[in-house]
Amino acid sequence: MTTPQSRTLNLGDGRPVIEVLEAGEGAPLLFLHGAGGIVAWEGMLPLLSSKYHVYAPLAPGFGASTGLECLEDQFDLFMHGFDVIEALGLERPYVIGESFGGWMAAEMAALRPKEIGRLALLAPVGLWRDEAPVVDIFGMLPGELIPYLFHDQSCFAAQRMMMLTMLFNDKDDRTQEQVEILLTMSRGFRTVAKFLFPVPENGLERRLWRIEAPTLIVWGEQDRLVSPIYADIFREKIVNAEVIRVPETGHLIGLESPAPLAEALLRWGQGQ
Amino acid sequence: MKVNWFHLMPYRWLPDDFRERYHGVWVDLPNALYDPERGHTLYNEYLDMLEYADQLGFDAVGVNEHHQNGYGMMPSPNLMAAALARRTSKAMILVLGNSIALYNPPTRVAEELAMLDVISGGRLIAGFPVGTPMDTNYCYGENPVTLRDKYREAHDLIIKAWREREPFAWNGKYAKLRYVNVWPQPIQKPHPPIWVPGLSSIETWDFCAERGYNYSNLSFSGYKRAQKMLDGYWERMAKLGKEANPYSCTFFQQICVSDTDEACEREWWPHVDYFFNRCLHLYPGMTAPPGYMTEASIRAGIVAQAGNTSMNLGTNKSWKELVEGGYIIAGSPATVRQRCEELARSLRCGHLGLGMHIGSAPMELTNRSTYLFATKVLPHLRPIWSEWEDHWWPKALPEDKREKPGGHNAAVQSRAERPTEEPL
Repeated sequence: MTTPQSRTLNLGDGRPVIEVLEAGEGAPLLFLHGAGGIVAWEGMLPLLSSKYHVYAPLAPGFGASTGLECLEDQFDLFMHGFDVIEALGLERPYVIGESFGGWMAAEMAALRPKEIGRLALLAPVGLWRDEAPVVDIFGMLPGELIPYLFHDQSCFAAQRMMMLTMLFNDKDDRTQEQVEILLTMSRGFRTVAKFLFPVPENGLERRLWRIEAPTLIVWGEQDRLVSPIYADIFREKIVNAEVIRVPETGHLIGLESPAPLAEALLRWGQGQ
Repeated sequence: MKVNWFHLMPYRWLPDDFRERYHGVWVDLPNALYDPERGHTLYNEYLDMLEYADQLGFDAVGVNEHHQNGYGMMPSPNLMAAALARRTSKAMILVLGNSIALYNPPTRVAEELAMLDVISGGRLIAGFPVGTPMDTNYCYGENPVTLRDKYREAHDLIIKAWREREPFAWNGKYAKLRYVNVWPQPIQKPHPPIWVPGLSSIETWDFCAERGYNYSNLSFSGYKRAQKMLDGYWERMAKLGKEANPYSCTFFQQICVSDTDEACEREWWPHVDYFFNRCLHLYPGMTAPPGYMTEASIRAGIVAQAGNTSMNLGTNKSWKELVEGGYIIAGSPATVRQRCEELARSLRCGHLGLGMHIGSAPMELTNRSTYLFATKVLPHLRPIWSEWEDHWWPKALPEDKREKPGGHNAAVQSRAERPTEEPL
């Protein structure tokens, strides 16, 4: 497995300082992570780095990235995304966004359609139907989230996440290292909450027609967090879009079914 | 010292299997459980209790603000305070609600509190809570990450609206108002005393200290934890170079008084049990949304974190454990007097908030307790801290200058109801 390099991207005075994970060689691929950040370089990212130069910037509050206070609202966040693309020197990259990152990628592609080459959205949030409310990730205990994130809760990734959430127990006997892990997790969640609390919808649907990049929409068939019905809405509203549904898979497709996902993403990147 | 008689106004009919059937008392507890006709009686009983406390000479009567729950029936504390303003005459009126970040524009709060101050003859104490996550984030949809910032802006706007004598423009991040010009203005100048309820965040302590506000510690987590929290408060005040005036601090304590210790346990246990095991049945997934607490507070570990709320709130404890742990002060007048004196001195609080109605307690039991406290305990507490001046108390009109509700009708009644003058 390729090990990613971490580097720091300074976006200028009074702007965020960003940690970027990088691996592989080839055409540029920008990966925008979900609410859990990139806890470890795993799942489908190593598979993508076999063909692409993968850039995975961490949003302010995640990893070593700082500067959330510079981003007052969603618009600031999207413009920040373009600042990162520019600082990395990427030209019309292939952008893949997962969940929270998928919403951000879609908004960016609608805002500056010419600057995104290709797009893949992995179970993105950002739309709303009353009959299929997106689950409130901010209104439950971390451990209770797991059934919403995975189809198979016995899989390795689900088990490891369960171990982590055990730290949110009601005992005060955590080690300093565990306290730091908790604080890291809560910092990331804080970032997501700043932009998506309490209802993760702010008009993306009426902007989707602006997206010009060929867009692949990927959904786990058993996604209980963000219903697969949203895949059809994305496909209808985006001019050039296709949907792939991954069987036996929940919300975190990249962790639960990395191989079929990476294969689909690589094919999409080559225009197939 | 001074004592205020404070009501939480819980709903009295949460079912016996409440804890098994519902994950919490707050936010998403179906309102099908609420019976408005019972509610009619409950509101009127609860207001009667507060009026009785006024008649017995408690220094203040208090109400607070919570939303969407079975634990407190006061989404609008100002409505309760308005009812009290007309039906009480001596006691000050403590409104420990108005989570000021929730109101748009915040000048609405400046207006309503000014109305209360004017109607009551300057008896208002204005509470400015940030508000619990359940109330502010989950019920009212405020973003937990920006809530405190919005709170500070709302605070600055309200204070300016009370101080300025000319219209001004407010270009805030959260409120944009071309013309701020609040009518009416409070009687108390420059504004009513401000009390800020909180658990124990350093930010809240500093906020109070910088502005000369009273810090009101509201917790149900027992004496040991209270001592730790208030020790932290006084240490912080010393560090900031503030005088250790006990009146800068209020402590809330639930209290029940009966004729004897044994009678107290027998009479009050069902209602205390109801409070701690039904009213405080909180779902921990909704007590700490991301960003609500500052990282410094999380690190300090002195505020409830996700998952450990049930640990500190006195749930699943026996009467003996609750009494010994100081979650409640309960017993005969002599017992309660001794414990209250110890509490006031060791926590160094000049103001004591009394939760004298607890859980499902009925009218007669509550009034008996209130009466025993007023006659057998209160006189002994008054001299404590008399060497200090209370800068956090309303400057109300003198009692003889305050209007008597209904008095104007009486004064003109005979003339208003005179026979018509028939034309000749």
